[in-house]
Amino acid sequence: MVATAVMVSVLAVLAWLLWLSRDVPARAPSSRSVGAAALVLVPLWLALVVFYAPLEVTQGVLQKIFYVHIPAIIPTYFGFTLSALGGAMFLRTRDDRWDHLALAGAEVGVVFCSLMLLVGPIWAKPAWGHWWVWDLRLTTTLMLWFIYVAYLFLRSFAFGSDTAKTFAAVYGIAGLAAIPFVYFAVDLAQGSTMHPSDPSREGLPAEMGRTVGAGMVAFVWIFGWLVAKRLELAFLQARALAPRAGEGV
Amino acid sequence: MDDRIGWVLAAYAVTALVLVGYALQLRLARSAALRDVQRRS
Repeated sequence: MVATAVMVSVLAVLAWLLWLSRDVPARAPSSRSVGAAALVLVPLWLALVVFYAPLEVTQGVLQKIFYVHIPAIIPTYFGFTLSALGGAMFLRTRDDRWDHLALAGAEVGVVFCSLMLLVGPIWAKPAWGHWWVWDLRLTTTLMLWFIYVAYLFLRSFAFGSDTAKTFAAVYGIAGLAAIPFVYFAVDLAQGSTMHPSDPSREGLPAEMGRTVGAGMVAFVWIFGWLVAKRLELAFLQARALAPRAGEGV
Repeated sequence: MDDRIGWVLAAYAVTALVLVGYALQLRLARSAALRDVQRRS
């Protein structure tokens, strides 16, 4: 049920973003509905965190941080996958609209990855006694963040250049290879990791699982709205830089 | 009350700050880009 809700949200937001990216100026008003959905989902998720999810026996209230830390991974992976998809389509079609989608996916993915990396240590300090440990899961997640921050630097230093767009598309696709290392880091570490394993595999109590799922659904819709806003910005920036009629090379 | 509630509040405050901050930054950048487009037209 929870996994289905998350999957349906991801697919719905993906389909909408692909549709929106084809004609941003005409279709941008549809982002209001997505923003409204996110505004409804966030208080529902917070109400579940506060009133519905039970206190965990050993960690107590501290475990409530998981309801924001775990859901942030879905939009992170979603953003980087969207970036690779946009990059692949750009290489195939040379259509700037795909390039805008690749850039928007990577940027919003980095925002959620940063959120995960900021919130994790706030839990780790009181739980482990350290803000950060060079554990395999934490290190691979940090590497993933660096890969896409480098992508954004590349884009900002070579704005509008066709060579930069091509290189960024290839880089964005290659960067996706880091995701399996992050996802399977706990398994790869073979018990020598401090990071808790994937909660869905451990079997969370139903109330906790539903609360994590509600967070994932809310974050996916927030992600969709932010990507739409970033697409609008990319379109305006490209329009501002486009040569005017009679201004050709 | 659990004295670690402050950590939990800090985590949710950081979340709000990151997401709202990014949305505001997009809004400011959009206004600047709109001005550029209008100046050119």
